[in-house]
Amino acid sequence: MSASHEIETRLRETAEKLLREKRVDLFLGYEKASLPFRTTPLFLTSPEEVKRLAWNPFCTTNLAVYLPRLFKPPADAREAKTAPPPPTVGLVLKGCDTRSVVALIQERRVPREKLMLVGVACPGMVDWRKAERALREHEPLGAGEDAQGNIHVVVEDGTELTLRREEIVADACLECRSPTPSIHDALLGTPVEGKDPEAARQQTAAFEAKPLSARWAHLQETFSRCIRCNACRQACPVCSCCKECLLDQTRPRWVGAGTDISDVTIYHLVRAFHMAGRCTDCGACARACPMGIDTRLLARKVNQEVEDLYGYRPGEALDAKPPLADFAADDSQDFLTEP
Amino acid sequence: MTEKRIPHTDLDRLLDRLRGLGAVHAPTRDESGDVILAEVSPGKPVVLDYKNFPLSPKVFLLPQTQTLLRFTNGKPHEPAPVAGNGGPSQGDGRPPNRQAFLFGVRPCDARALLALDEVFLGGDQRDPYYERLRAKTVVIVLACTRPMSSCFCTSVGGGPSDEAGADVLAIGLEADLLLRAITPKGEDLLSSAADLLGDATPPAIEEAQERARKAADQIAPVELDRSAERLRNAYDSPLWGILSQKCLGCGTCSFLCPTCHCFDITDEVRGDVVRRVRTWDCCAYPLFTLHASGHNPRPTPKERWRQRLMHKFRYAVENLGRLFCVGCGRCIRNCPVSLDLRAVFRELGA
Repeated sequence: MSASHEIETRLRETAEKLLREKRVDLFLGYEKASLPFRTTPLFLTSPEEVKRLAWNPFCTTNLAVYLPRLFKPPADAREAKTAPPPPTVGLVLKGCDTRSVVALIQERRVPREKLMLVGVACPGMVDWRKAERALREHEPLGAGEDAQGNIHVVVEDGTELTLRREEIVADACLECRSPTPSIHDALLGTPVEGKDPEAARQQTAAFEAKPLSARWAHLQETFSRCIRCNACRQACPVCSCCKECLLDQTRPRWVGAGTDISDVTIYHLVRAFHMAGRCTDCGACARACPMGIDTRLLARKVNQEVEDLYGYRPGEALDAKPPLADFAADDSQDFLTEP
Repeated sequence: MTEKRIPHTDLDRLLDRLRGLGAVHAPTRDESGDVILAEVSPGKPVVLDYKNFPLSPKVFLLPQTQTLLRFTNGKPHEPAPVAGNGGPSQGDGRPPNRQAFLFGVRPCDARALLALDEVFLGGDQRDPYYERLRAKTVVIVLACTRPMSSCFCTSVGGGPSDEAGADVLAIGLEADLLLRAITPKGEDLLSSAADLLGDATPPAIEEAQERARKAADQIAPVELDRSAERLRNAYDSPLWGILSQKCLGCGTCSFLCPTCHCFDITDEVRGDVVRRVRTWDCCAYPLFTLHASGHNPRPTPKERWRQRLMHKFRYAVENLGRLFCVGCGRCIRNCPVSLDLRAVFRELGA
């Protein structure tokens, strides 16, 4: 029996208890999706339905993305009068999702006391695009996990193939420094050790080693594939920051709506800069992108700058002060005076 | 109806012949090894054994960013620039007088062109930008042998060797490609390459039919009968709220959809020159229906997601007599949260 199966059983018990005892109004988890290598978010309100909850190697969605909208403050005084009280929400969280929740709590967009966090120590989740690429011409019909955590796939002609998990887990998982949730009200699974911090730096370093013209060419090539569908922004839990996103403003419209390379570049640069010291590197943006753009590259770079300057990593500790929301007299100021 | 065949080994010669007539866009591998629809220069391998590309061929007729006109002090520049035939981020300022061959696109995507035709050419108004590109586009459809688990073309009137929207239907056989002219454009194409083509033999035609049957058998049906009527009765169903809870409000489904065609028009001012530009828009965005007053008639994902489904499976049927879904499954495959529109019809029941 796979480790996931055991976690799934305990997860259902936990959710059932929380819902039955009315300690949560809503429980957010995953359920099996219509396609192999996927799950789909599940909004549970009744303890009778916990059997739908799934835990498997395909639970990629960062469920923290739904929290800001569940706790959205009323728009005005009139709305405040009729608004229902904020719900109590239980949710399943991997290490990366927990970091996002921590960031949301720090930014006071989600109240900690309204959350019931069911953490799961995460061995890394499968990126369906990587898995399908590994299958080449085969069409998957079903996928499951074996005792070693590898992925068994049944393809169109009934053949069973095995994909090694480390070859098809999402890029962000390969660099995850805290796969075991740091805060939680319940923790399932055996704690998983974090990856070497250098892993996350390697790709950024390789990019930086290129000459300026090559870096620019790479970015332009990447951005030219962008179709401006906003999937990266919408899938990002912390990118619901502004009351009205700069990119959605029309009076005036700051950024053109189309795919002119200048507009696409601004879109991605604006997003990256808003992520400085806030991106929890869950990789949701990159997994959401239908065009295969590595949207993490820029955000990770500005995040690493913040770590180097202030020794701060987003989402790691509830009581830490995000550097961009804090002031200290001895803050590093080198970057201000550098030519 | 002319039916011809060409050995796979001679395909390059056929493509060279087409290159002499215009730009050839065909399935080919990009740097990361994924199959995309792009212009193929001589020597660049064409991939026929592929599933389908993420971006649909609609970009060739409805470019994502299209300059409609430029003007200064209210006076349009002469001659008015005409948007051309390009990829996702092109389609601007290219000469439109070149013929474009869409070679090897899937039947679902070709069928979608008929839906777009209905919108841009079917009513009392014809869209000149679309019309110019459409007139210069020849569609060579490649029958599908690799249906995916997200495919349901057979439930929306199509199929793996559907001819709708095709000028020529190509069917891959063991040694040959069978070419069947469907429209006068297709007849022209086959006659311009007549010296390269052999006659289709009855066994070849039979092999083609057998392959089509096999592919169709792999596609799971979806209960879409009487979709318009069923949706009419389900406007206030709680289903919309339940299913759309997880919708992130991105535009992936509609931007990848081969029939989604809603657009926005904005003026971009630089100095005293104004560029009027048409860009794709999407009903999943709150901005899509936001009124100048601040009121939004579709305030939550529930209303927006319902609109998308209603448009495709009810309003289009009622108003234009056709489903605006070709069952390509792109929205299902690429949805970041795996929201599957097939669930609606399953839950709605007959």
